[in-house]
Amino acid sequence: MNTEIARLIEDFYEHDYILNDELATAVFLLKNLEKPLLLEGNPGVGKTMLAKTLAEHLHTSLIRLQCYEGLDVSTTIYEWNYQKQLLHIKLFEQEKDKKQLGNQIFGMDYVLKRPLLQAISAQKPVVLLIDEIDRADEEFEAYLLELLSDFQISIPELGTIKAVSKPLVILTSNRTRELSDALRRRCLYHWVDFPSKTKEIDIIAKKLPHIDQQLAAQIVTFIHNLRKSNLHKPPGIAESLDWAKTLLLMNQTHITDAIVKTTIGSVLKHKDDVAFVRNKTVQEFL
Amino acid sequence: MQEVTKTFKERIIDFTIYCRERHFVLGPQETYDAFEVAKRGYALDRRLFHHSLKAIFCTRREHFERFDEMFNRFWSRYYESKLEQRKKQLQQLKKEPDTATVIFLGAKFNIPKKESNIEAKETKGANENSRLRVTDFSKVAITDKERLEELAEALFHQMSMRVKRRLKTANKGKIAIRKTIRHGIEKGGLLLKLAHKKKRKEKRKVVFILDVSGSMDTYSYYLLRYVMVLKKYFKSLEFFTFSTHLTHITPLLRQNNEQLILKQIGSNVHSWSSGTKIGESLTEFLNTYGSKFLSQKHVVVILSDGLETGNVTELKEAVRTIKNKCKTLVWLNPLKGMEGYQPIQKGIVNVMPHLDAFESAHNLDSLLKLEKLLMNV
Repeated sequence: MNTEIARLIEDFYEHDYILNDELATAVFLLKNLEKPLLLEGNPGVGKTMLAKTLAEHLHTSLIRLQCYEGLDVSTTIYEWNYQKQLLHIKLFEQEKDKKQLGNQIFGMDYVLKRPLLQAISAQKPVVLLIDEIDRADEEFEAYLLELLSDFQISIPELGTIKAVSKPLVILTSNRTRELSDALRRRCLYHWVDFPSKTKEIDIIAKKLPHIDQQLAAQIVTFIHNLRKSNLHKPPGIAESLDWAKTLLLMNQTHITDAIVKTTIGSVLKHKDDVAFVRNKTVQEFL
Repeated sequence: MQEVTKTFKERIIDFTIYCRERHFVLGPQETYDAFEVAKRGYALDRRLFHHSLKAIFCTRREHFERFDEMFNRFWSRYYESKLEQRKKQLQQLKKEPDTATVIFLGAKFNIPKKESNIEAKETKGANENSRLRVTDFSKVAITDKERLEELAEALFHQMSMRVKRRLKTANKGKIAIRKTIRHGIEKGGLLLKLAHKKKRKEKRKVVFILDVSGSMDTYSYYLLRYVMVLKKYFKSLEFFTFSTHLTHITPLLRQNNEQLILKQIGSNVHSWSSGTKIGESLTEFLNTYGSKFLSQKHVVVILSDGLETGNVTELKEAVRTIKNKCKTLVWLNPLKGMEGYQPIQKGIVNVMPHLDAFESAHNLDSLLKLEKLLMNV
């Protein structure tokens, strides 16, 4: 294995994130080819956590943009400082050259930087996490294209602003909506799947060092069998960890029917899914 | 940096073509990135080269799952000897006329050739188009099938452009502070004239439930094609098919290759062209997917002839519940397009009071008329 990738895996492990070869290569390319990385996968498989760990690994800051419906330029790229502009207009009310006045108030001094502009203006490369891009509108995807391919942003009054240092961009998507091919093609891609049993046990043991190995193995087997059932929302790694924490807090050493009935809420988040598990016995999942 | 030999570059290009043939969306940029990977010496480590190309070439999960096998097959010694042979075969194929067809719903649909024979198409009269637009899908002669496919493609494309333009038209939205301040400069900062942002029309969330039993498969096929064209204009789109039981086919719609999707749907829906249990299927939809895909923002469209072979009371109850949970419930019944049709069948009579619209969708014209109902434009 490439030594740099091996080092990356080790370093991430120290930061409590277990990378596999493929994902490590994708992160390695993100650093070296300076292309954004698009991570797709079910909720709770560690997509967002990867960006956080990358920022820690690089000792840099993480700028996070949480996407939602209706997101636009003024909340993601820049906004004009209207109060300051109005004050300026009042101060120079007598100014005869109104065009000049207009140019003054639409200058860089009057810009409020939002996450994307902050990321490309930073002196040192930062990790830019564009989280759950599938929740944003298609129009916002189009805004992003320029940033993702050329690391620049165009502001009508100011022209094109190029990145001072290229940020490491990670986009995540839960696939609630299909992303455009234009966006996909500007990114490296990785599908983050649920981990294997052994890897998931390692993750729990890493995050919760005091957990009993047998209990960790039981939790993972139970969760893996749950994922095979036709659930509305299959549990992710985050849910496995939550459940492990819950069982630790309750001083449990193994899983019983009674404990499943009382704690399953930390694993399953849908009424029908909870009812499905409550109607079964633990042995059916172990 | 490593010197990349011409032969190796050619192999990378061959691999790009190989992937493109398997519906990977790859352009010169991806090839360039693959060269860059080779130049940096990552190709010296087969595993690293494999994972690097995987990150560069894949753009969606379906690609991700197929890539390993494709990579191993292509870069194996066995494949090298086959490559030349394959190239020759492809060249030979290109010389032959396009005879590709899609086998779907038990019938052969010729894939329309986009650029060829344009002159020949134009010589056919407008009267023929008008006739085909109003011909019931189930009564289109075999000889007209190809022509109907071409016409459908052209009309659906026109409709798509129309919808796109209409979605852009706007009423007054929120106040645009930037514009308002620009207006205010001349008034010494007084914001006397308010400027407004354009307000976009909200896209709809739609659920389609298609009857694919024997009597309905031809209509379902054209409705599927129609919706495929419009899918980008919906906020969310869920697709189900049923005859004796329900199948969720939305995951198949994630790809961009329309013909491939239609083919896959044909092979995935096991109950295609069998009996009809509408009530049972709608109840299954409510129990399994209702909480996820039904809300006061959803439009539900059911395409069925309403010829229920199961329990009519169950059907009535299911339709009533769906209506209560969604914003609009539309029932498309191709039989409505038949002369003298009366909605007197047991199934239909029971559901009629709960419907917001009852339309025909039996020919191209009636499908095009659905535009307003579905798109909110």
